[in-house]
Amino acid sequence: MKIEDVVCSFCGCLCDDLVVEVDGTRVVSVENGCTLANEKFLGDHRLKTPIRRSGNSWTKISYEEAIAETAAILLDADRPLLYGWSGTFGEAQSIGVHLAEILGAVIDNTSTVCHGPSILAIQEVGHPGCTLGQVKNRADVVVYWGANPVDAHPRHMSRYTTYCDGFFRKDAFKERKVIVVDVRETESSNIADEFMKVNPGGDYAVLSALRAIVRGKGDIIPARVEGVSREQLFRVADICKSAKFGAFFFGVGLTMAPGKNKNIRNAIELTEELSRHTKFTISPMRGHWNVYGSNEVFTWISGYPYAVDFARGIAFYNPGETTSVDILKREECDACLVVASDPGAHFPKACAEHLARIPTIQIDPHVNVTTHLAHIQIPVAVAGIDAEGTAYRMDGVPIRTRKLFQGSYPDDLVVLEKLYAIVKEAKG
Amino acid sequence: MRFLLNTGRTIKQGSFVERKNNPSYQVAAATILMNPVDMLEIMVEEGNHVRVKSDTGEVVLQVSPDNGLTRGRVFVSLGPYANHIVSPETHGTGMPDFKVTPVSIEPTDDPVLTVSSLMERCGGLPYED
Ligand code: SF4
Repeated sequence: MKIEDVVCSFCGCLCDDLVVEVDGTRVVSVENGCTLANEKFLGDHRLKTPIRRSGNSWTKISYEEAIAETAAILLDADRPLLYGWSGTFGEAQSIGVHLAEILGAVIDNTSTVCHGPSILAIQEVGHPGCTLGQVKNRADVVVYWGANPVDAHPRHMSRYTTYCDGFFRKDAFKERKVIVVDVRETESSNIADEFMKVNPGGDYAVLSALRAIVRGKGDIIPARVEGVSREQLFRVADICKSAKFGAFFFGVGLTMAPGKNKNIRNAIELTEELSRHTKFTISPMRGHWNVYGSNEVFTWISGYPYAVDFARGIAFYNPGETTSVDILKREECDACLVVASDPGAHFPKACAEHLARIPTIQIDPHVNVTTHLAHIQIPVAVAGIDAEGTAYRMDGVPIRTRKLFQGSYPDDLVVLEKLYAIVKEAKG
Repeated sequence: MRFLLNTGRTIKQGSFVERKNNPSYQVAAATILMNPVDMLEIMVEEGNHVRVKSDTGEVVLQVSPDNGLTRGRVFVSLGPYANHIVSPETHGTGMPDFKVTPVSIEPTDDPVLTVSSLMERCGGLPYED
């Protein structure tokens, strides 16, 4: 059976034009997807049953046993951490926040190690963004700063920018100018009209130089700024100023580099400056397919987008203190529930060591790096394949992922609701 | 020799995110990209192993040349190998310095550990499916 308009639950582009052929409970072909989508839909490497570490061996256990033991661990903990959430749908994320509230836990999502600094900057100076549809139909200048879409968001260029014709951009490839700014050459910088190679850690200074030029203070710019020549800075500023509609996208190359949230603030302020001359917008290239959704769901329930601490009975938010890496590094949490993410792979070693020290429970369809650190793992259905739910695209547009067949695994929502029910009953 | 380590996403690493016990994931995550002239200088060839040390820790990786890298800079795709040498310090932002870790690199004959043995070193128990 061929199913059309399938949503890809891999990256923040959340492409909704895939055609997937299904035979029973197996995906047999995928059309329109990129390499990452093909791997996601055609790969079938799931953990078969819940597993528990008993001393030096792993044993298979039932779902009931796994959920009951998870509840007991979380109820017994003084400072549980509920981490992940970006690889599941909004309905399950919402149960997660309620669970954190009755447990008095910290709940954090993967923004903490991707666009958390972008959120901090947006909280300071706002977000002059727009939807990807606007970019596709209008943008004639596109900037990718600290982002490598060819590798991380493979269809971003073909669906929204370089290779995609729009209503006002009939011949996009010729009409749109692409500027790539990065510390190294990448596949994306190879296809740029202008590539600005910045010294590592030099982004803040280069953004400031561009702001000065756009402001008309170009005479103070020295011959080179962090590896970029004065001539190139003026050329880039000129391209941006003469755009009819400019779209600035930034990636973790900017949020993780020295300066972090201040880099993003500077980029937003450059966008503002450019908007005195023309129309310019700025947006983060969100990584996980529903990381934006985790920020939305956390915010509408608790008031804060990530790193929310319910230990005081009310929501408290202080990134740097209530963020997962800091909590794990300080060896503060005494139990951790990981949902739909892989901190074992993506957190520094000291955090992985603490996850191995405390009871860590993982709810995830696949064996990943965290599996080796966990005490229990509960496999679930894959959202967008055998589970459905709402996700938010990187520009904040909600899209409902589809269920392609009825499999044998429960989804995140079913498992979390059972867990919540046990915890709620115990808490009274 | 001293180098500056950058980490980031790659399509190869992305293709194997749901098969992290697979040897191909290990290759994608445990490869360090270096400028070919730097490789000559420390006398390693493509596929040779190197010990990469930072103030936080050390890990053995295999080398691959990348002409796009400036001399003195190296790149490892994000994942458990890179995170063995990235500091957990976040400077009050919640975000570690994934992009600028000073490291030293020297050739070694030691093997590149599998993902599960790397986690075993962190106190975990390998799960082989
Ligand atoms: S670009 Fe992202 S959402 Fe689109 S098909 Fe590729 S992985 Fe899926």
